[in-house]
Amino acid sequence: MTSPIETEDGAEPVVVHGGQAATTKPEGDPLVGRSPGQLMWTRFKRDRSGVISAYVVGFFFLIGALAPLIAKLYGKSPYTVFADERPELFDSAGVPLQPNGGISSEFWFGLEPGNGYDVFTKLIYGIRTSLMISVAVTVTVVLTGILLGVTAGYVGKKADFVISRVIDFLLAFPSQLFFIASMPVVVSLFVSPRDETPTYVRVVALIVVQWFLGWMSLARILRGTSLSLREREFIEAAKVSGASPWRIIRKEVLPNVVTPLLVQTTYLLPNFVTIEAGLSFLGVGIVEPTPDWGQMFSKASTELVLQNDITYMFFPGVSMIIFVVAFNLLGDSVRDAFDPKTAR
Amino acid sequence: MLRFLVRRTLGAAVILFLLSIVAFLLFFGMPRDPGLLMCGKTCTPANLANIHHVLGLDKSIPEQYWIFLHNLVLGSNGFDQGPCPAPCFGYSYHTNEQVWGTLMDRLPTTVSLTLGAAVCFLFVGLGTGMLSAWKRGTLVDKTVTAGAMVLSSMQIYFLGPLALAALVYQSHLFDKPAYNDFTADPVSWFTGLIIPWVILSTIFASQYTRMARSSMIEQLQEEHVRTARAKGMSRRYVFFRYAWRGSLIPIVTIFGIDLGALLGGAIITEYTFGLPGLGKLAVESVNFSDLPLLLGVMLFSAAMILLFNIIVDACYAFIDPRVRLS
Repeated sequence: MTSPIETEDGAEPVVVHGGQAATTKPEGDPLVGRSPGQLMWTRFKRDRSGVISAYVVGFFFLIGALAPLIAKLYGKSPYTVFADERPELFDSAGVPLQPNGGISSEFWFGLEPGNGYDVFTKLIYGIRTSLMISVAVTVTVVLTGILLGVTAGYVGKKADFVISRVIDFLLAFPSQLFFIASMPVVVSLFVSPRDETPTYVRVVALIVVQWFLGWMSLARILRGTSLSLREREFIEAAKVSGASPWRIIRKEVLPNVVTPLLVQTTYLLPNFVTIEAGLSFLGVGIVEPTPDWGQMFSKASTELVLQNDITYMFFPGVSMIIFVVAFNLLGDSVRDAFDPKTAR
Repeated sequence: MLRFLVRRTLGAAVILFLLSIVAFLLFFGMPRDPGLLMCGKTCTPANLANIHHVLGLDKSIPEQYWIFLHNLVLGSNGFDQGPCPAPCFGYSYHTNEQVWGTLMDRLPTTVSLTLGAAVCFLFVGLGTGMLSAWKRGTLVDKTVTAGAMVLSSMQIYFLGPLALAALVYQSHLFDKPAYNDFTADPVSWFTGLIIPWVILSTIFASQYTRMARSSMIEQLQEEHVRTARAKGMSRRYVFFRYAWRGSLIPIVTIFGIDLGALLGGAIITEYTFGLPGLGKLAVESVNFSDLPLLLGVMLFSAAMILLFNIIVDACYAFIDPRVRLS
């Protein structure tokens, strides 16, 4: 199975398939059996860009999880309006007086033009909000995708027909337009329009609308995978030996859809982060004063920032690019580790 | 081919019908009363009821839906504002203008934005992607791949304001992006849209680069390509005549989907640059609780997506002779 592939610039051959042969010498170690999971793990650990991006992604999640602690050590709150508390730092338009967006030893990332929030705490809390929403959307989407995808693919017949038609229908939705139109509707399900909308309602509404139009691509892929699994011999063998359909799905089908599931999930999550940020940018997602990654972009695109000092814009912008790039690289590495045949 | 087109058109019509029901129900779940917005400051219950009656909102929802469908297919003379010919979505609550007319007014902006950007990102994306595949493993390939990776992770809501700040507000090199009619003034049409085009195609092109590269590399490993090389055909000929054609299918698929989605209104782009296209209209229709306008924009956008899906599927038959449409 080992097939060395000569790279074009004449570097040493790279072993693509059956990877462990490259590291273990056949005469040295005794042969050890490895599970597919272990093989995947050894392959992943050897992929340097994958490991680095895993650390970067982990770093973002750590920041999000520890945001309150970091803010406490740093000594500021993302809700403090420094334009009121320390007006001497701002000019009459509300732009920080010091150059580069008011970056100083006191305000590490400067101050936000306008209200004068501290950008550093705002950013880490914003990352926290965005990641919490996106993780929640990803979890609901994965559960729905597994449920409907595997049902459609494995059970087939009527269930397959109905689920496939629903998928086709929802894929024809103009998704952004639907998000914008349905956000106020979902919010109004929880609170009456006269009351002020609490933040958690907006968060729940964002999760609901993104989930509603987010699960189809995953379900479609899982449907395809389980459809082809259904005809395989080991499923037939399980059927013949009298296993219940539920047991077959649990013990035979699900372990075999883990690969596409994991790969797709690593692509889905950054996607949800950017969709959520886009909605907050348009003003239908999270609104001030709750810190949010996307809402920082909407602040950054106001004329006040564009005309004066654009330093503020770079903090949400660059951090999001790093996050998305790292997550996409991680996704590529996960895919390569699971399926070495598709190595780039 | 004809049977294929008929079947797909009927399928699309069913989806649009279902979508109109969803949009209709969605609207009646909205918290804001459109009557209240029109009523103004001195709003008495009698005034409000009168407005509801004029808008037809006092009827039951199924009855209103039936009237909507009837007007859409047959047109109507029942509006106070005047006659409303066949694709009749009624009159906007907010501007009192015919919705179909408003859609057609806003369409040139969206079409200009889409077509300009599409030409740009298709050429740049395919060009760099094929260059990268041709020079696979070299420094050029690595630079292009890394650049495409970073650019495709960028967002319009970051890159757009950044470009506006750098090119318009800080250096005054360009005018603020705006839409000018092409027939009246082609030069200002071009200069007004150049920044949105470049920004939109920067993000899209990088995706096409990655796709074109991987698709070309996959094709170059096919057996018929190897055979052609073994027969002694030049690398260039095989690259452009054999592999190129085979690599088109995934690209055409994504291009059709992107084009349909963009023609239905590039909401974030139009919002960022303040261009008065369909995407901006959609945001306005939600903000003003404008039911006829919302239905119009939503169905139009969905129709664009469906139309391009059909076009893409029909294109397969031309690209790949093995595909039979049935």
